[in-house]
Amino acid sequence: MTPLLSVPVAADFVAPTVDYVAVLPMLIVFGAAIVAVLVEAFAPRASRFSIQVGVALVGLIAALGAVGKLIVDGTRVETAGIPAADGTLAASIVIDGPAIFLQGTILALSILAVLTMTERSTDGGAFTPQASAVPGSPGEGAARRVGLVQSEVFPLMLFSVGGMLMFPASNDLLTMFVALEVFSLPLYLLCGLARRRRLLSQEASLKYFLLGAFSSAFFLYGAALLYGFAESVRLADIAAAITGTGRPAVVGQDGLLLLGIALLAVGLLFKVGAAPFHIWTPDVYQGAPTPVTGFMAACTKVAAFGAMLRVVYVALPGARWDFMPALWGVAILTMVVGSVIAIVQTDVKRMLAYSSIAHAGFLMTGVLAIDKIGISGVLFYLFVYGFTTIGAFALVSLVRDAGEDGVGGEATHLSQWAGLGKRHPMAAGAFTLFLLAMAGIPLTSGFMGKYAVFSAAVSNGAWVLALIGVLASAVAAFFYVRVIVLMYFSEPSGSASVVATPGVGTLFAILLSVVVTIVLGIAPTVLFGPAEAASLFLP
Amino acid sequence: MTALDVVFALFASTAAAGALLAVTSRHVVHAALWLVLALGSLAGVYLVLAAEVVALVQVLVYVGAVVVLVLFALMLTRAPIGVRADLDAAPGRRRVAAVAGLATSALIGGTLLAAIGSTAEVPAGDGTASALGSATFTGWVLPFELLSVLLLAALVAAIAISRGRDADTPGLDDLAPGGTADRADPGAGSAAPAPAAAPAPATPAAPSRAVGPDGTS
Repeated sequence: MTPLLSVPVAADFVAPTVDYVAVLPMLIVFGAAIVAVLVEAFAPRASRFSIQVGVALVGLIAALGAVGKLIVDGTRVETAGIPAADGTLAASIVIDGPAIFLQGTILALSILAVLTMTERSTDGGAFTPQASAVPGSPGEGAARRVGLVQSEVFPLMLFSVGGMLMFPASNDLLTMFVALEVFSLPLYLLCGLARRRRLLSQEASLKYFLLGAFSSAFFLYGAALLYGFAESVRLADIAAAITGTGRPAVVGQDGLLLLGIALLAVGLLFKVGAAPFHIWTPDVYQGAPTPVTGFMAACTKVAAFGAMLRVVYVALPGARWDFMPALWGVAILTMVVGSVIAIVQTDVKRMLAYSSIAHAGFLMTGVLAIDKIGISGVLFYLFVYGFTTIGAFALVSLVRDAGEDGVGGEATHLSQWAGLGKRHPMAAGAFTLFLLAMAGIPLTSGFMGKYAVFSAAVSNGAWVLALIGVLASAVAAFFYVRVIVLMYFSEPSGSASVVATPGVGTLFAILLSVVVTIVLGIAPTVLFGPAEAASLFLP
Repeated sequence: MTALDVVFALFASTAAAGALLAVTSRHVVHAALWLVLALGSLAGVYLVLAAEVVALVQVLVYVGAVVVLVLFALMLTRAPIGVRADLDAAPGRRRVAAVAGLATSALIGGTLLAAIGSTAEVPAGDGTASALGSATFTGWVLPFELLSVLLLAALVAAIAISRGRDADTPGLDDLAPGGTADRADPGAGSAAPAPAAAPAPATPAAPSRAVGPDGTS
């Protein structure tokens, strides 16, 4: 791909050249977000929610179409990389194979996330009617009776998606940082908008915001130190400063380099939820409105792993022997912590949160393989994991307390899931499928994903990592299967739960996730081909 | 000693004096105003060092936004405004703060002392507005534009959690299925002012984040 922006060497102002086709997906999403802000301001209240849903869906589908056009213009993707050899050209955004694959994944997942967010048939939806009302106050009750709805979630979510699209395509640390903030800031807020258990939700939001701001500061400091090392924030320049290709290597500044890498890694590892930077994950996943949790769990992970891949493969291949041992430790710790602590969880959302931590560890084994198979394995894994996660959280949002006046809040305590298989075989069956896929049982997509990253690790001599990964998967399978046993072979005890009748959006999201999980488990080559073709980063 | 050195020394000593007065003042509003003096003189120091853009940003962001934010916070909350004797923190905390301040001073002073004698060539024109402007609008135009998206998102987020669509807003009841029945709720009116205090979590997010890019853009 030709770099999108060329920096002129001369002092005279030369307008930058932007390849608008290549950045079209991002422009469409940001444009839709701005339209959604205008809708929020001008549309009548009665029709605002449905207009917002329409704008979000049309924007995301159009952006997915634009990504499709980039895929169809395959030659542009394949011939990329040659112009970048010219030292005077530098792009803020690079649209290469991994970027296109990840953007397509993020857009497809966020379409499903929007569909789950539209669910209003049960209990008036997942979002609070009025975020500013004091929890439990009469004002809140009045807002609920009047049927207010916080439809700002859609523009905020679109802003977040736009940032996520840009994050793994950023070609320098500065753009990456701005994209990180653009996708994080709306998420901090979305976490605090739950309809039920609002104090928990607000606590989650505050925690996520404070820790997220902290991790952003780490990222920025790391970027500053790397700038001090390489005199440039561009990933390719940093790589050149380390190895000395095309310019003299920087020597005697290893302190700057290593400290910079470490701080940058803290920022990225926080976003993917890797131990020991995972502390926020269970609280935030539990407190956030469930559709937002699904969106966050799937899409943030895709974007953040995409950026991590780009940093590791484009900027730092020359320093890999310096940071690999540390990242090995992080990967092992993440797999072990996620799998082991998940066993003792009694809340289904917290359990899925720890499971997502374990998955971050599995994904890191693929990242650390440092070759083409590793990249394609991670890309495949991210795709299948995203669909399973969105589907699982969509189902969590349907299982409700059985109150005397119909459907109550979400029944997230595991004891309430006992016997669900007999009363609601369809929902329990779908959830079982997602759990099996997360556990990595053969004939589900999760198995192929795990196989891809572990085999990449083994083929690069990291068999210790793969072995620990397999053991951790076995431990993780225990708690997944435990939930399945609970659903099918236990009698319900304690408060009863019912499965609410899903609306069209949620139903579609769940069905599509089921289809993807089964199809990619049986015929993984459908996606392995594209993932392999896409697995070439361009500097 | 050139005229430039004299001006530099003047600005620098004013900044130091302003900073000292800001922390020793027993009057919160005065402290904020002394802060204006300190930060403004610092802008003068930057100007003497030929970093015109940094000086402007200093005035816009720190004097223009941060201090105004402090004054607004004093004005809009029930913070004590008169002369107060109890502005000092507990002795334990004061000691920790003193240690932190001294450590920072030692670090910066040490770096400066170590740098004395060594000279570095600063390329002329690097700190000018035109150089920064052309860099911003050529190579960095995409991240720069993205910052405006970030600000917009922060703005929408802040409004989303702080705007109280009070239950007794005229016209709102028309939407209610029960119509006037809701007006009977006596609590609804009294709860209306609460929104300002309620949305604890993310409210601080928007302003504090907005400051940096706002001033620079």
